[in-house]
Amino acid sequence: MTQSENRTMMQAVVYTEAFFFLCLIMSYIYLAYSTGFEPHDLSRLDIGTSGINTALLILSSFTLHLAERGYGRGNTRALKAWLIITLILGAIFLIGQGREYVKLIQDKITLESSVFGASFFTLTGFHGLHVFIGLVILSIMLTLAFLGDFNRPVATATAPADTAPTATAPADTAPAAQPAGSESPGPSASAGWQTDSASPAQPGGGALGTVAIYWHFVDIVWIVVFTVVYVLPQFTNI
Amino acid sequence: MEDPQSFQAEHINRLFNQFNIAAAGILLLVLFLVIYVTTKFRRRQGDDSEGAPITGNRRVETLMIGFPTVLLAWFFYKTLAVSAAVMPPVQASRQPDVIITGHQFWWEVSYPRPTGSPGPASSIGSSGAGSTSNSSSSANSSGPANSSGLPGSPSPASSADYVITANEVHLPVGRTLLLELRSADVVHDWWVPQLGNKMDLVPGNKNYLWVTIRRPGDYIGACSEFCGQEHAWMRIRVVAQQPQDFDRWLDSNARDAAPPTDDLARQGEALFLTRTCAGCHRIRGTPAIGAAGPDLTHLGNRSTILTGLLTTSEEDLTKWINHPQEIKQGSYMPDFMFGKDSLRAIAHYLEQLK
Amino acid sequence: MGTTIKIPEPASPFPGLGVENAQGLLQWISAVDHKIIGIMYLVTSVVFIVLGGVLALLMRIQLAVPMNHFLHPEAFNQFFTMHGTTMIFFVAMPAIFGYAVYFIPLMIGANEMAFPRLNAFGFWMTLFGGLLLYFSFVAGGAPDAGWFNYAPLNEKNYSFNHGIDYFSMGLLVSGIGSVVTSVNIIVTVLHYRIRGMALNKLPLFVWMIFVNSFLLLAAFPALNAALAMLLLDRELNAHFFNTANGGSALLWQHLFWIFGHPEVYIVILPAFGIFSEVFQVFSRKAIFGYAFVAASSVAIALLSFGVWAHHMFAVGFSNTVNSFFGASSMLIAIPTGVKIFNWIATMWGGKIHFTVSMLFAISFLIEFTIGGLTGVAFAMYPIDWQLTDTYYVVAHFHYVFIGGVVTGLLAGLFYWFPKITGKHLDEKAGRWFFWLFVIGFNGTFLIQHVLGMIGMPRRVYTYPNLPWYEVLNFISTVFSFVMGLSILLLVFIMRKAMRHGAPAGPDPWNAYTLEWATRTSPPPLKNFDDLPAVTGRRAWWDMKQSATTGTSQQASADAPQQPPTNPQPPTNPQPPTDPHPPTDPHPQNKNNDTI
Repeated sequence: MTQSENRTMMQAVVYTEAFFFLCLIMSYIYLAYSTGFEPHDLSRLDIGTSGINTALLILSSFTLHLAERGYGRGNTRALKAWLIITLILGAIFLIGQGREYVKLIQDKITLESSVFGASFFTLTGFHGLHVFIGLVILSIMLTLAFLGDFNRPVATATAPADTAPTATAPADTAPAAQPAGSESPGPSASAGWQTDSASPAQPGGGALGTVAIYWHFVDIVWIVVFTVVYVLPQFTNI
Repeated sequence: MEDPQSFQAEHINRLFNQFNIAAAGILLLVLFLVIYVTTKFRRRQGDDSEGAPITGNRRVETLMIGFPTVLLAWFFYKTLAVSAAVMPPVQASRQPDVIITGHQFWWEVSYPRPTGSPGPASSIGSSGAGSTSNSSSSANSSGPANSSGLPGSPSPASSADYVITANEVHLPVGRTLLLELRSADVVHDWWVPQLGNKMDLVPGNKNYLWVTIRRPGDYIGACSEFCGQEHAWMRIRVVAQQPQDFDRWLDSNARDAAPPTDDLARQGEALFLTRTCAGCHRIRGTPAIGAAGPDLTHLGNRSTILTGLLTTSEEDLTKWINHPQEIKQGSYMPDFMFGKDSLRAIAHYLEQLK
Repeated sequence: MGTTIKIPEPASPFPGLGVENAQGLLQWISAVDHKIIGIMYLVTSVVFIVLGGVLALLMRIQLAVPMNHFLHPEAFNQFFTMHGTTMIFFVAMPAIFGYAVYFIPLMIGANEMAFPRLNAFGFWMTLFGGLLLYFSFVAGGAPDAGWFNYAPLNEKNYSFNHGIDYFSMGLLVSGIGSVVTSVNIIVTVLHYRIRGMALNKLPLFVWMIFVNSFLLLAAFPALNAALAMLLLDRELNAHFFNTANGGSALLWQHLFWIFGHPEVYIVILPAFGIFSEVFQVFSRKAIFGYAFVAASSVAIALLSFGVWAHHMFAVGFSNTVNSFFGASSMLIAIPTGVKIFNWIATMWGGKIHFTVSMLFAISFLIEFTIGGLTGVAFAMYPIDWQLTDTYYVVAHFHYVFIGGVVTGLLAGLFYWFPKITGKHLDEKAGRWFFWLFVIGFNGTFLIQHVLGMIGMPRRVYTYPNLPWYEVLNFISTVFSFVMGLSILLLVFIMRKAMRHGAPAGPDPWNAYTLEWATRTSPPPLKNFDDLPAVTGRRAWWDMKQSATTGTSQQASADAPQQPPTNPQPPTNPQPPTDPHPPTDPHPQNKNNDTI
């Protein structure tokens, strides 16, 4: 095994989320070709502003990557700085989406008004929700970074205490060989065959990498959504 | 499938029978193998040893995969052939012969009259291009007789020309008919087992179904997609008639309702028109033009109401009008407060609408 | 960073069953041990199968004679909706997850699931989803649009009460539970296997659940998306499925069946896994064609996403579309047939022990063949045009679900009950149960094929007195009560076994897989202290063999009631040949990452 359980878990989550968005996107396209779809609703969309927003969101993926890179070199200051920038970019994206919503609602395009409204708000709304969740997780990462969880090498003393589930400490058994996790001085002391490869060098690095998987996924979803909702109508006649 | 009575049902039935033979063969093979293995390799008393160390055999596996694949390929080919015969594509120019609209929980049946035809009757079943493949593939079995070769006209008849009825669908035998299926509310499904395949009535879509009936008779069917509380009482009755009988029926039903002849009926008509009835039901020739419920212009000519739950006798009609929500609870006809005399008058009026 | 949350840890494998323990219930509620959660899943499943079964019997009474007035039509419609939904989502799924979370860690030689708390979360979500669904009965009416809940009948203007809102939310909640549990299973299988257990050496039950988890993760999002849209329609007046306002009725069908058909395989694949174990152990032979059985599951999983429209052959697609989905549906018959014949071949040359578990497995072979063959009939879409939405379909999927899934769960129950409780189910009473069940089941559903062929649509609360309708329906009703009776008998057998069942010992079947390698039955809270590396596919068998040859003084290898031949007596005469220094081969819960 070359990666931590958390990364595997997040990959599985991303896998299932990908199918969720695939369904929403396919529904949007399906409805776009159905009779109830009003083409002129599409013209109310502002491709310019959204395009800039899209660029910012893509940029945030790079900044998060830089945060990881900085952290990989042991540079916690770079980590914090890039995390803050990522957070700001994500927040700008959400605000931009909010402005788009306000504009559409002022134009009387709502969830109730038409099939376009329903599918547009549902698709972008679910994506926005995922961005929001991503921002919450990134804020937690940032807080942890400021609390010193990502500093090395002392971080290990603080981290495992409350994160290791108590499940593995059965009351009546456990004579000698307790699993390594809860008492070991650090992940590096765990059995080698399933240790997170990043762990020995990077305390907490697994967490950052796990969050990054999610954030990149949210970005990729947006690129597809943007292409389908904003770009393709410029070239096709739906 | 029981006793197929249409070109389409015969084709499907043949396929089903062929499949059943193959399926029975496979089932018998599995049965035989299971019985053989479980008797032959039963553990003897006191024998606690392990089974033979076999963990696989490429040849057996190849057989397991190859044999079903060949069989399935053959049936897929048959499937394609049957579906092409039963459901040939509908040409845009082909006018439907009957338009059936599903409502919760009854069928509205209308017979469009193509423009240019002298009367509604003779054009029903006119051969469009789409039905030719039907006739060719059933040449040996008195294929669809497409009598009057009037090409379907693209301009739709005005709705006033329609013969509209409900629940009992009269169709001529021997002609290849195109049924257009629509829904007014939820998804329904048209199915008369002896006449062949079923087809959903999807709101917002128009679906088409070919049917070539062999013999005159009454064929019963039912809505086969769950459509709400009274789905069970959304049954179908197809009355297949010889073409000349059918044409006569169509002609008589194209006429307006005959004015009532006796006093009780006249009283009933007055009640029908002044109370709420006319808001939902149509009786051509009177001011009653409601469209939410079944057309009642020739109700007396039908044998049942409520898709078969009751007959059109005066007694049954009285029972129904008195307490619709007790007899068919999910129907949209509300309970009214009619006096005994009024009830009898309305029922009498409806019963004599022939 | 601070405070440790104190959670009462279960003090015994069955906390709270004894009266002396005042904290029993709290220990169940707070449990994160995979075995306790597994048991809770199974109990949930039993409770819901009784509820769903009672609904089914009420429906059968209503249908026993034509023009019956036993049930109000609306009640009937609610009952069949709830019956279907219950059986799929709150009987089959919890039972599968119950076996999965109980036995996967045991079978791969781990002490826990990867995320024990997530495991508990998944269970409680499933349970709460079920409670939410059943709450609808007291909140103004249960859902009444069928378990696949077609649009636009599921919209507010056709279904006025809140039943469908509860349906949607209940399924969303339990769906989240299913998804997180599947994630948990995937991570557990990938990270927590004992040394030497490569993926191609997984026990087939684990393999099936593993494949299944990927299938579930891909299928449930479609349902969740559809339910989200439906809720938006119903609560916020959106128009996804509201045809009167431009929505699409077919979009719901597409989304539902993109979920719905894989769901069929989601519930059947674990049953296949159980059968694969049962056939091996009770034929005293390794599986025939491991690779083919394993690979055919993957083939089924992949194909299952290309077949959803075979539920929609009658909605008016062109022949081209229908033929594509017809072909893909037919293809599924091949990997399924491969499995059936591989199981038969597994018995070939074996020494078959006719335990109740094995009897169920053998009856499955025949019943599932019937269900599979009628399934192929539906793939031939002209036949489907005749028979879809009739009692032929009802018969078909009950042969698949009862003949396949429930029979699998029962085979698993008789196989694993000794491990879960430490007590044997009475084999003699079990035989009675088996025959009652099989006769009741086949009597109920075999003739329903005929009902469908002569034209009886499904989901009708009554029918006119047409030729044969009454007699066939009446027979079906009588046999359904035989089946109901058999379930009562099963509950009785289980109760009796719990109280005075013969003690099972850790390895009563002289089995092949690692769940039987624990020191006791039920397993201690910490499943394993130490295990040597796995070398073959029958891990526990290999260990027993090497111990027998190693110490060369073991008794007969196949003595069901005797203590097992434990290769690692407490004194541990032959330390495992372990190149790695850590003494514990399955270090638990190393998710020390600060997250």
